[in-house]
Amino acid sequence: MIEKIRLDNISFAYDGTGNGKIKNISFSVSPGGCVVLTGRSGCGKTTVTRMINGLIPEFFSGELTGSVFVDGENLADKQLYEIAKKIGSVFQNPKTQFFNTDTDGEIAFGMENNGVPRQELIKRVKKTADNLNITNLLNRSIFSLSGGEKQKIAFASVYAMNPEVYLLDEPSSNLDTDAICDLREYIQILKSQGKTIIIAEHRLYYLKDLADEIYYMDAGEIKHRWTQEAFLNLSVHERKQLGLRSLNQEEPKINDKSLRNDNADIEIKDFSIGYGKKDVLTDINFKANKGDIIAVTGHNGVGKSTLLRTLCGLQKALRGNIFWNGEVQNQKMLLKRTYMVMQDVNYQLFADSVEQETCFGIKNPDYKKVEQVLKELDLYELKEKHPNTLSAGQKQRLAVAVSMLCDKDILVFDEPTSGLDLESMRMVSELMYKLAKMGKIIFLVTHDFELVSLACTRIFPLG
Amino acid sequence: MMGVRFDPRTKLLLLLLCVICTMFAPSLRYELVLVCLIAVFSLLSGQFGHAFMGTLFYGMIYAGTLLSVTKMTGTTQAIFAAFLGLVNKVYPCGFMAGLMIKTTKTGEFMAAFYKIHIPNRIVIPFAVMLRYLPVVKEDWHYIKDAMRMRDISPSIKNICLRPIMVAECLYVPLMMAASNTADELSIAAVTRGIENPNPRTSLAQIKFLLRDLIAVFAFSIYLVIGLIGMV
Repeated sequence: MIEKIRLDNISFAYDGTGNGKIKNISFSVSPGGCVVLTGRSGCGKTTVTRMINGLIPEFFSGELTGSVFVDGENLADKQLYEIAKKIGSVFQNPKTQFFNTDTDGEIAFGMENNGVPRQELIKRVKKTADNLNITNLLNRSIFSLSGGEKQKIAFASVYAMNPEVYLLDEPSSNLDTDAICDLREYIQILKSQGKTIIIAEHRLYYLKDLADEIYYMDAGEIKHRWTQEAFLNLSVHERKQLGLRSLNQEEPKINDKSLRNDNADIEIKDFSIGYGKKDVLTDINFKANKGDIIAVTGHNGVGKSTLLRTLCGLQKALRGNIFWNGEVQNQKMLLKRTYMVMQDVNYQLFADSVEQETCFGIKNPDYKKVEQVLKELDLYELKEKHPNTLSAGQKQRLAVAVSMLCDKDILVFDEPTSGLDLESMRMVSELMYKLAKMGKIIFLVTHDFELVSLACTRIFPLG
Repeated sequence: MMGVRFDPRTKLLLLLLCVICTMFAPSLRYELVLVCLIAVFSLLSGQFGHAFMGTLFYGMIYAGTLLSVTKMTGTTQAIFAAFLGLVNKVYPCGFMAGLMIKTTKTGEFMAAFYKIHIPNRIVIPFAVMLRYLPVVKEDWHYIKDAMRMRDISPSIKNICLRPIMVAECLYVPLMMAASNTADELSIAAVTRGIENPNPRTSLAQIKFLLRDLIAVFAFSIYLVIGLIGMV
């Protein structure tokens, strides 16, 4: 069998940290093959992709043994830019994958580096846009694009370079259902062109019939190798035990477990939101009670984040009112009453230890209460640690701890599980239960249908 | 964006001229005219907002400087005059640099640098830096929201009353985001072959036209005027 890519007994550990190291990884991919690497967060799947595009050892240093071969040539002898001609990489964060500020320039960027003549550049930018169905995105500023659209441009930029191998590192992490559907189509196009594809991903439903082989990694080693057929035959129990996400993406069915009664704790009445004079959503009416966990769903761009910001008092509503126990709330009162746990929690952690973070900005903190809250959220042991050294889940809980100490009544979560594996997702849903039990009202914006089915008492569809 | 597109090399040259002009600026009035000159260039480039805000803000600094020189005495004068003097030196260059970043695509910068034969090891970090600035702007919006939810909004009142806390709130998350962002931007660039030493091509076309010549000529004349001390 001819091999496109062969990893030969690779072991690697990053300098400084113990995270993401891999041990004795060997596998090969034949031309036109599609391999999915999966496993829990931190299992080492991203590290494997970095071996193949040469970022290890060029960009990330550490202790490395073993070799990677592409078309029989050892990558160790090659420069990154030489590898880049053969192997195209798409990453997970659409925000930082761009080098240019305009879409055309971005699509052309890789080709420019390779010295493709200008006439050819123009032709290939157009052809790429046609093939990937994104002509509407041409000639735009990167900053006017949604996350999904950015990811498409990132993909297009690599596609335009026409590499033989595609390496996708958690490409769906920041995408909504529609955008994932488009990503799936792109992978299908690549397959039909006979490209070799390697994808590191924990979300598997969109890949289940595209992958020829699925490798399951745990603690840096490949523990299972399935063919597509064998993988699809895994029982639900086996899958859950491995901590893998659902293979189906069905609209969540939840029984309305809402605690709604006639005396709503919060009522949104004839609400219109938007920016300046531009309406984004009009005539929103909604009631909820303490203990509700409400999923706010809708397509990208429908106004979910605008609604969240308005609810939190970060921007003015255009018309209508929010009532708390029958009392009209102005922007200032809402700011006092609500707290948002952001998608990127790093933005809201300011202090240099967990304990100080919870008291940050409070004049006379009640240390007894701090202790109690930290214990409740399993953070007490970590109270001396710097917030930056915490895991993503711990940071999220720290943000929640802050909200509890500020006595917020309404908590808003913005995509709390993007990029999380099954266990971490379960932990988020348990956290929400806990908060609901304390009598908080929780709004949750998410594309994660598994989370919605697991945690929410009701769904509030927008648009 | 309406307006004339200037060659990125022109903008770099103008920036350089601004630096020299402020270095040798013989008087405060000379700086004022320089700022106005940049504002005119800004208008021609179609950046009306930038021109207006930039000039307005400088107007305030100018007035402040005049006040500190004429109306103040003793230590207060020393402090204010020294501080505003420094601002005066830096402001025109910042004004010009802001305009350059706003009106130039990354691809144009790369093409321009390539044409004037600047080596890759200078171009790449510079391009990453330019690309990084708008990301900071995006980050800033999130951080501002996060601060407001904790009742530490970056209002003028808070900046005066609790300056250390406001500063801490800004730099901690920004620094956090910064190291990640810089890494990820660099990765996106190197995996698409930015380090390729062979000749680079460019989708963006840059040409040094008559208008560029006029702009450079105007600023050069102004520099000469300053040097021989006519203003």
